[in-house]
Amino acid sequence: MSLLAIIRIASEEVVLDSKGHVTTHSWIFPEQAELIYGVIASCLIFAALIKFAGPQIKKGMAARTARIQKELDSAAQDKASAAQEAAGIRQAKGDIAAERARILADADAQASSVLAEGRARLATELSELEARAQAEMAASANRVGDELRAEVARLSIAAVDQVVNGTLDAATQQELIENFISRVGAAR
Amino acid sequence: MNDQRIDGYARALFEIARAEGTIDTVEDELFRFARAFEGNDALRNALTDEGIPAARRQTIIEDLLGGKANNTSAQLISMLVGSGHVAELPAIIDRVVARASGAKNLEVAEVRTAVALTSDQETRLAAALTKATGKSINLKVVVDPSVIGGVVATIGDTVIDGTVRSRIEQLKSRL
Repeated sequence: MSLLAIIRIASEEVVLDSKGHVTTHSWIFPEQAELIYGVIASCLIFAALIKFAGPQIKKGMAARTARIQKELDSAAQDKASAAQEAAGIRQAKGDIAAERARILADADAQASSVLAEGRARLATELSELEARAQAEMAASANRVGDELRAEVARLSIAAVDQVVNGTLDAATQQELIENFISRVGAAR
Repeated sequence: MNDQRIDGYARALFEIARAEGTIDTVEDELFRFARAFEGNDALRNALTDEGIPAARRQTIIEDLLGGKANNTSAQLISMLVGSGHVAELPAIIDRVVARASGAKNLEVAEVRTAVALTSDQETRLAAALTKATGKSINLKVVVDPSVIGGVVATIGDTVIDGTVRSRIEQLKSRL
C-alpha cells in the first residue's frame, strides 16, 4: 500500500446512521484508517524502542550475563574450596584415627605401667606393714614383759621392805652389829 | 666458803678448844651437833634462815645446848652462827674432829647404826676397825635409822658397809 493510498483511506469520511451514530462496516475489524494509523504508530514505537531502549537492554543483558558468569565462577571456586576442605577433613580424619590409635596405645602402656608399679608398691607396703606389725607386736610383748617384770620388782621391793622392817627386832639388830664387829675384826 | 677458809675456821675452833683443855669433849659434842644439824631439817632451816636475826639464832643454840653440852662447844657453834657460816658448820666441824684425831695420831671412823651401840660394842668395834685398817681409831657413832640394820663404817676413803639398807639396795637394783 502506498503512502498515497493510506492518506486517501485515512481521509475517508465517517459514515453516520440515521440517528447520527458512527457506524463501522464490520463488527470485528477496525476501519482501514485505524489499521493504518495503528500500524504506523506501532512501527514508530518499535523503532523508538529499538533505537533508545535496545542498547540499555543489551547492556543490562550483558551485565546480567557477566554477573551470572561471576556467580558461576564463584560457585566453581567455592566448590573447589569445599573439595579442598573436604580433602583436608578427610586427611584430618585419617590423622585423628591414627592419633586416636596412638593415644589409646599410650594409654594402654601407661595403664600397664601404673598397674605394675601399683602392684609392686602394694607388695612393698604390705611387706613393710607386715614387718612393722611384727615389730610392734614384738615391742608390745617386750613392753608388757618389761612392765610385768617392773611390777614384780616393785611388789618384791615393797615386800622386802615390809618383811625386813617387820623382822628387824632388837635382837636381830644386836645380832647384825655383832656380826659386823666379828667380820671386821676377822678381816685382817 | 672455800676450802682454805673452812680449814681456817676449823683450826681456830680446834685451838680454842685445846687452849680451854676440853678438846676431847668439845670435838665429840661438835661432831654430834654436826650430825644432828645434817639430819634435822627444822634445825637446819632455822639456823640457816637469813630472815631470822643472828642473835635469835644464837639464842636457839643456847637453848638447845645450854646445860647439856660443854660451854665451849656451845660458844663455838654460836660463834659460827653469828659469823654467818652456819651452812658450812658440818664441814668445819669434821675438820675440827679430824684435826683433833690427827693430834692424837688417830683416824676418825664414822660409824652409823640403826640403834645405839653399847660402850662394850663401841670398844670392840674400835678394836676391830683398828685391826682391819692398821690405824688407831677415833670412833664416832651416829644413830641413823635410815641404815635400817647393821653397821656402816667410814674411815677416810674406806667404807665398810654391813647395813641392811645396802643389802636391800643391792637386791632392788638386781630386781
